[in-house]
Amino acid sequence: MSDGSHTRRLAELRHADSGSFGGKSSTLGELIAGGIPVPPGFAVSTSAFRAFVDEAGLAGKIAAETARISPGDVESVGAASHAISEAMRFAPVPDAVRDEVAQRYAELGEPPVAVRSSALGEDSQNATFAGQQETYLWVRGADHVCDAVRDCWVSLFSSPAIAYRARLAAGEEPAMGVAVQLMVDAEVSGVLFTCNPVSGDPSMVAVNASWGLGLAVVGGEVTPDDYLVSKVTREVVRGHVHTKEVEYVPDAGGRGAVRVEVPEQRREVPCLAAAELDALMDVAERIERYFGSHQDVEWAIARGGELPASLFVVQSRPVTAMKRPAGTPAAASAMALVMSAFGVGERKG
Amino acid sequence: MAAPSAVGSFPSPYEIETPPGCEGWEDMYPYYGRFDEERREADEQRFWFWNSMHFPVPMPAFDAICIDTAYQALGSWQNRVFAVPPAMGIDWRCINGYIYISGNPVLDPEKIAERAGHFEKRAGYYYENWDELYAKWRTKMDALIVELGELSVPQLGEYEPDEVAFGDQETSYVAVLDAYRTALRLADVMWQHHFEFLLLGYGAYMTFAELCKANLPDIPDQHIAQMVAGLDVLLFRPDTELRRLARLAVDSGVDAAFVEGRSPDEIDAELARSEAGCAWLAELETVKEPWFHMATGDGLYHTYTSWLDDPRIPYASLIGYVRALKAGENIERPSDHIAQERDRLAAEYAALLGDEARAGFEQLLALSRTVFPYVEEHKFLCDYWFLTSWWNKIREFGDLLVAHGFFENRDDIFQLSRLEVYSALDELLLTWATGGQPRGPKYWPPIVTRRKELLARLGEWTPPPAVGAVPEAVLDPALIMLWGVTTQRVHAWAREQEGGSELTGTAASPGVVEGPARVVKTVGEIGDVREGEILVCSITSPAWAPIFSKIRAAVTDIGGVMSHAAIVCREYALPAVVGTGRATSSIKTGQLIRVDGTAGTVTILE
Repeated sequence: MSDGSHTRRLAELRHADSGSFGGKSSTLGELIAGGIPVPPGFAVSTSAFRAFVDEAGLAGKIAAETARISPGDVESVGAASHAISEAMRFAPVPDAVRDEVAQRYAELGEPPVAVRSSALGEDSQNATFAGQQETYLWVRGADHVCDAVRDCWVSLFSSPAIAYRARLAAGEEPAMGVAVQLMVDAEVSGVLFTCNPVSGDPSMVAVNASWGLGLAVVGGEVTPDDYLVSKVTREVVRGHVHTKEVEYVPDAGGRGAVRVEVPEQRREVPCLAAAELDALMDVAERIERYFGSHQDVEWAIARGGELPASLFVVQSRPVTAMKRPAGTPAAASAMALVMSAFGVGERKG
Repeated sequence: MAAPSAVGSFPSPYEIETPPGCEGWEDMYPYYGRFDEERREADEQRFWFWNSMHFPVPMPAFDAICIDTAYQALGSWQNRVFAVPPAMGIDWRCINGYIYISGNPVLDPEKIAERAGHFEKRAGYYYENWDELYAKWRTKMDALIVELGELSVPQLGEYEPDEVAFGDQETSYVAVLDAYRTALRLADVMWQHHFEFLLLGYGAYMTFAELCKANLPDIPDQHIAQMVAGLDVLLFRPDTELRRLARLAVDSGVDAAFVEGRSPDEIDAELARSEAGCAWLAELETVKEPWFHMATGDGLYHTYTSWLDDPRIPYASLIGYVRALKAGENIERPSDHIAQERDRLAAEYAALLGDEARAGFEQLLALSRTVFPYVEEHKFLCDYWFLTSWWNKIREFGDLLVAHGFFENRDDIFQLSRLEVYSALDELLLTWATGGQPRGPKYWPPIVTRRKELLARLGEWTPPPAVGAVPEAVLDPALIMLWGVTTQRVHAWAREQEGGSELTGTAASPGVVEGPARVVKTVGEIGDVREGEILVCSITSPAWAPIFSKIRAAVTDIGGVMSHAAIVCREYALPAVVGTGRATSSIKTGQLIRVDGTAGTVTILE
């Protein structure tokens, strides 16, 4: 029976929903609310995960396996992860969840989708680190979407995730949401920061871009083209085109993304032109304004589309690791600063 | 302190050889301007850089006054008046006719602290009363220019005039020597005025730039400059007047006179044939005073004359503007746009800063804008108007010496040092008074000939950007503020000493272009610049404005982001890289080069 309680359209979600849908899905909802172009899709609630655990009777096994580990003991963590994951992989997704996902998927028009885990908790940086951010690309067909949703749930019990939770004071039962989005067949994709995270300059947008799906950039498999663009004048203050040897593209006939070599003649071609950078700057500024803080944004530009409609944001999160600019001494007056330029009050080393 | 080899090295000033045929060049310059053996130990350990910003070509003996007097003035203000804590003044030495300079640091912490006390009081007084002091400065400067104009060089007749016999007038030998001393004194005073505000002006600007960079580490230098730059700057006025005259020529239907390749005289002659043309010429006369006191170069050599002396440059500009107007182009300087952009940048950057940084940003921006009119205007008044008039005054003494057989040409006077000229005048006046036979007419001409030949030969030689020790850090505020010589820059010079096809400098105006290079070493070569070329020069001056509408980019040896080339390129939206140290010596006319004004690099492509 499908009462609609396990899924929601992304566009309906807000931050307040992060407790039941996880950080990623609720942020995507916020982005849509902020008028940011996000591929349409739906979110699977943590209630679906709980229903899955309940119906399959996995709660006892999870509790028993996790009780046995000691956080520092890599082998015990690995054994627990393996035991839980295997049990989960063979457990069926509850019919109610399956039906709802299939219905939502049908509403999307049954396109290839990206299925991403949407972890609970504010600390999504750590969640990334703990390997809880699985993504399955170019997933096609309702059954496969359900399998990918389950695979996301399984990732909650990866070794690093278990070890990470074990180090924390015992909190709530682990749970996970999942986001299912129309898959952008990206010609170019990458990451942008609405500041220069290296220097801390808030007047710059830092863009990394490479051919194909975002995997290559996010996974560090290529040295992407990089640009530092002024928010004030939109000038490219610094830009480097690198040799981009590999890219991920959708597996033509099937499912998933495959890693292929970039043809020689495209490797050193800049993958962004002025128009693309401009569209990215528009989006960067809107996202920063909407959230009121510096954001780390994953984006993709669809193959064969036309800007700005072909530009999509697939993820955004606050920039946490940013260098603070040196700034100026807090108490210094303008005149004291001028004086120090002439060496007044300077300590000679 | 010998430099670690990782940062490269500079040649010792004592290892540099005299180019063949240039023996005896030292005699053109004062004894204290040489790298002599007595000071070898100290001088080899110092960092000296070629001041190609002010002295791009070998120094004529007379023109060395612009070294001595300028550094007397700079040192007086920096060291003895304001007592800038870590730095005294600038020493100079000459190698093969090229001028190398080095700062004198203050190293004793107690001395630095003592100086800081004086500096705070005295500089503080200037900053607090800037507008009032600057208004007084303008009055002094205007009076000085008037005084120079009124200075007359007496002629030596067969008999003294009646006023000497029947009145109180001085005898001519007194009057001539007086006039010469007065001419020298006026130059001393001009340089005194020139440096009165200079360091403080640049210092305020640099502090603003540093605050911007501390809070906005990636902000392009040109944005900082754009936020500060004046809108209605004296320096741009001469060019603005030319645009107005070009429009007048088109509107009054006399534009047909402005044909490429015609001389100013030919154009004037054609204009004089019609009533409308005469009206245009009358309008030109009103513009000439004072705007044609623009120099054709940066003013520190006697060869850099004014537009009045050499109207080819403003006329070339007029021809270009007339042609552009007839082609339907807009030749207006986009000053509204510049003003809007300046305020927009300031507002947007301020909004990006935290509250505390914003307060400092706004105060320093206001201070920088207060001091900036001086920084831009002193160039027109001191370097252009005064100096071009002053060289002409010295030429009048040249005429006097020509009249009595000492020289063949009036400009030969510039081959003598100012003290040698004094000596020649002394002899002239002595023999004129006594009726004796002067030795000068035999003595000076061969010296003049030899020195001209030396200057020509030395001009073929390429000086290294720096000699002596590579400093660990450049701390002298004057070197940083006035010459853009920073630690990074010096280390880049040292690394590039071996050569290479890429030059680095300051990214002064954004954009990337490729094109054929045109190396311009002297002002006389400006006329060779062709449409679409990339200008490569030591430094440009506002008088070169006309060629910026022809070129695709500019590269200079010396200069920072506030240098003239940088400012004008931003106005014309041309890429510019300044302060490369060796562009004119590494690049040859006709070579294909790429200028990346965003990254600050110049690449020789072929």
